Parts: sequence; C-alpha cells; structure tokens
Amino acid sequence: MLGLGVVLLGVWAITWYFSTKAGASMLGQSTPALKADDIVNPLNTVWVLLAAFLVFFMQAGFMMLEAGFGRTREVSNIMLECIADTCLCGILFWAFGFAFMFGSGNGWIGHTFFFLNNAPATYGSTGVAFLAFFLFQFAFADTCSTITSGAMVGRTAFGGDLLYSTAVSGFIYPIIGHWVWGPDGWLATMKTPFRDFAGSTVVHTIGGMIALAGAIALGPRIGRKFKRDGGGMPPGHDMVLASLGGVILWFGWYGFNPGSTLSAMDFGGIGRVATNTTLAACAAGLGAMLFAYPRSHKWDTGISINGFLAGLVAITCPCYWVSPFGAICIGAIASVVMVLAVDFVEWLRVDDPIGAVAVHGACGIFGTLSLGLFATGQYGLPGATGADTSIRVEGLFYGGGAKQLGVQLLGSAVVTFATFAVALVVMYAVKALGVLRISEEIEIGGIDIHEHGAPAFHPEFAYMGHSAIPSGSASQGLKIPRSDETTIGVGD
Amino acid sequence: MHLVTAIIKPHRLEDVTAALKGIDVNGITMSEVQGFGRQRGHTEVYRGSEYNVDFVPKTMIQVACDASDADKVADVIADAARTGKIGDGKIWITELSRVVRIRTGETGTEAL
Repeated sequence: MLGLGVVLLGVWAITWYFSTKAGASMLGQSTPALKADDIVNPLNTVWVLLAAFLVFFMQAGFMMLEAGFGRTREVSNIMLECIADTCLCGILFWAFGFAFMFGSGNGWIGHTFFFLNNAPATYGSTGVAFLAFFLFQFAFADTCSTITSGAMVGRTAFGGDLLYSTAVSGFIYPIIGHWVWGPDGWLATMKTPFRDFAGSTVVHTIGGMIALAGAIALGPRIGRKFKRDGGGMPPGHDMVLASLGGVILWFGWYGFNPGSTLSAMDFGGIGRVATNTTLAACAAGLGAMLFAYPRSHKWDTGISINGFLAGLVAITCPCYWVSPFGAICIGAIASVVMVLAVDFVEWLRVDDPIGAVAVHGACGIFGTLSLGLFATGQYGLPGATGADTSIRVEGLFYGGGAKQLGVQLLGSAVVTFATFAVALVVMYAVKALGVLRISEEIEIGGIDIHEHGAPAFHPEFAYMGHSAIPSGSASQGLKIPRSDETTIGVGD
Repeated sequence: MHLVTAIIKPHRLEDVTAALKGIDVNGITMSEVQGFGRQRGHTEVYRGSEYNVDFVPKTMIQVACDASDADKVADVIADAARTGKIGDGKIWITELSRVVRIRTGETGTEAL
C-alpha cells in the first residue's frame, strides 16, 4: 500500500515538473522550422545508401555464381579475384574513377573531384549526400569489373587480373560511362538524349564486351572442346552455389534498378521499377527454361539461371519507362537472345565459362534497344522531390516513332564498339607482358594450389596430422623428419 | 581373369578412357584418390604457413579383363597416361579368383 503511494507520488512529481517552464524547455517543445531539403535530402540519401548496400551484395552473388559454374580446382582463385577486384575498384574509384565518370569536364571525360576533393554536400540536383552517391556508384563500377572476370575464369594469372582490372575499373568503365552518365557526357546531352536508366549499357554491355575481349585474348581452357568440334561447356562443380548466386544477384538488383531513381520521393517510380525488374526476371527465367527444353529435352538449371539474369540485365535500361506488360515482353525476348548468344559465342570457339558475354553483353545491348520499342511515353525522369514528367520517353510501339530507338541504337553501338576495341588493346597488352595467362603446368595442376597455395575444398584432409613447416625450410628444399613416415610406394 | 589397376594424373583420365574404349574394354571403374610415390607430395601454403602435403590428388582406374588381355590394357593405359614428368603414376595387375554379374548371376569370364 505504502509502495503504491510512493509510485503515484513519483509519477505526479514528474508530470508536475514537465508542466513547468523549466521542464518544458528541457523536452524541447519548441518545434524547429524544417525546410523541404531537411526532409528530402536525408530521405533520398538513406534510400540511395540502402540501394548501394544491396548492389554491393551482388558481389556475393557473382562470387557464388562464378564458383558454382567453375571447377573445383579454380574456386579459391575465383573468390580472391572478386575480393581483390572489389578492393582495387574502391581505391581506384576514390582516386580518379569517380572523377572521370561523374566529375564535370567535357563530353568525353570528367576532371573534377579527384580523390573526392572539393566535393559539395550533395551530388548535383539529386539531394543525395555526395559520399552516399559515391558509394552507390562504386558498387556499380565493382559490378562491371566482376562481370569481366566471369568469362576469364580458370586460366587468368592473378597478376594479369590485377593489371587488367586496374584498366577496367580505373579507366574503361569510368571514361566510357561518363559519355552516358556524366553530368556533361556527349551521349547524355544530345538533342534526344541516349537513355540508360540503371546501366544495361554502362555496366552490362561494357562488362560483357570487356569479358569477350578477355576471353578472346586468353583462348580457351586446356581441354575445352566446343560444340562444333563435338564437345561442349564443361559442367560447373556446384549447382547449389550457382543457383543461390543467381538468386542473390536478383535480390541485389532491387538496389541496382530501383535505387537508380536516386530519389525516395519518386515513390511511384521506385515501385514501378521494382515490379518491372521482377516481372522481366520471371518471364526470362521461364522463357529460357522453355526455349531450352525442346533442344535438349531437359529442364536445364544452368540455362534457367542465366535466363532470369538475362531478363534482369535487359530490363535494367528501360525499367523506369515501360509498363509491367512491356517488362514481361522484354524479359521473354531477352531469354531467347541469351540462349542464341551462348550458341554464337560457342560457335566462335570463345570459352566463356559463366556466360558473361551472352548474359551481360548481348542482353545489355538488347535491353538498351528495347527502350526505343517499349517506352510508354507516360514517364519522364525521376527528380529529387518527385517524378518529373516535363520530358517524356516514348518508344516505337507506343506511337513515339523511331527517334528514341535510333538514339538507343547509336549509343549502344558506340559504347559496344569503343569498349570492345579498347578492351582488346588492353588485354593483348597484358598478354604481351606475358602475365595474362597461367602456364599449362599450373592450369593442369590446379590454379588454386599454384597461385594461392592451397585447394579451395578440404585442405584439412591433406594436412591431417601435420604441423606447419618452420618458415623457410621448405622453400630451401630441406627434408623434415617426421615420426609417421611410411615406406609405402617409395620403392627402389 | 585379371584386374588392371592404374593410378594416373587426373587430367589424363579423358585420354585414357578414350584409348580404352578404342580397344573395347567391357567396363572401367574410376575413383578419386590421394597418394604419393617417389614424388613425395608437394608443399602448399595455407594462411601464411607452409605445409608438406604428402597426398596428392590422383585418379585410380580399374579394368577387369581376360588374363590374355591384361598386358594390352596396361600398355594402352600407360601410353595414354604418360606425360614424361614425375608423378605419372603406376599400373599393377592382379589375378581375380571369382567374378559375378549381379543381374544375371553369371560367373567367370561370362561375367566380365
């Protein structure tokens, strides 16, 4: 009874205190006057950061996809290539990649914000914190760099990988990307601007074309027989990894496409882009599965994975401007484009273990063109405070004529050929230095053991019962006496 | 009836299999094995420490055949598996006392 009295007294005392002047000021009841920017900018920044984290997670997807489609002997190499490419890309993008791509300069290259110097609070008119925008764009650059490594799995020397990756993330992607996404890029500032919403061209076509150049310069893996020579793609070692990697990529795409609005205020746009992205992937996954069935009479898991990825790549460019039905059409066509492109790459006798050229290169090109066909003309551009419909993007099928299609064709062709040409020069230059490809002995023995010291799977089995050799002694060829030495198989 | 057992380098398996098909052997069994001979393993590096790894991945193939064919089978395997470098492997031939085909119950050379 007494306790209850004390509690009630306490509650009364607190209420009394906060109703006094001193108490009220402590609670800060005077409402601050908020300007629109105080809400819009943090909201847009949080949205872009969330998207950046999702796009970054696509690295995990790529690593799993490449590992699953790769062979056991090269998995450790694939993992470290993706990790090293990510780290390298971050540093390069900070130093000059971002400046080339998103700094202002001329139509061909940007030259402000080197080392992120002189950065304003927000990037352009987006209302997004400058460094949040940087992080988002770094995640994109990293994606491009990883796509490239997919076609070069299993035979690229690690030193060569670091060299060409420097060229990809530091120069090729940022400079060509500037033409499309730079504040004054020449493709972006044409009378009818070339449109690439989230990067079918900028990320995927560039990545796919560098991958093609890399695979051509490298040559096929040892023992790889192509279809027209009576062979085929060597099977990957783990379909669980490959499937999960594909689905994680799909998940990451929800940052890639919807995040490219750069604006949480354009909520209609975000919803539309997310739905279009999903529907294109669904149509493409089914499309590839059904298109492949009559050819092999099997429900092909590998082709279905690359199928929905093809749909995601294709919808990346037009996702903001098409209807959900348009997205389904684009996804379905992309799946067929992908399967035929895989056949074409195989016919060319180019060894692309992951299918990067078909999925990212070919479907990136198709997706870019599809905008000129399927754009409904209802939508304009996302803006910091909401959708801006003062300019509308309209395609051929919706009465917009062939104008946008022509521009898309021009932009895609320019980027495709420029990237392919530059990438060929880079890859053959690295090859001329003799560091692009591992030796035959290493490739046969397993790149993991030779380049990285140990196999990816079950290293503990081989080490069972052994402790590490004292440092230096093994490399000097000293024999370490062991108590468990056997004589089996020594002979003679 | 003889059993030809060969330990070969894993990347020679495809060629060895093709060569054995060329002389119409009745069947081949392969397994992934690990071991060492005079080669004495190799060193690997795991998180900065060097390890002497005795057991190197190899492929074992086994072919059961008529006694008169055993030497030919062994020769074919040796020719197809040879790279001339250390670690090419070994072949040994053992006698089989009894062979049964599970489906039909046939025994002896019929079961091969």
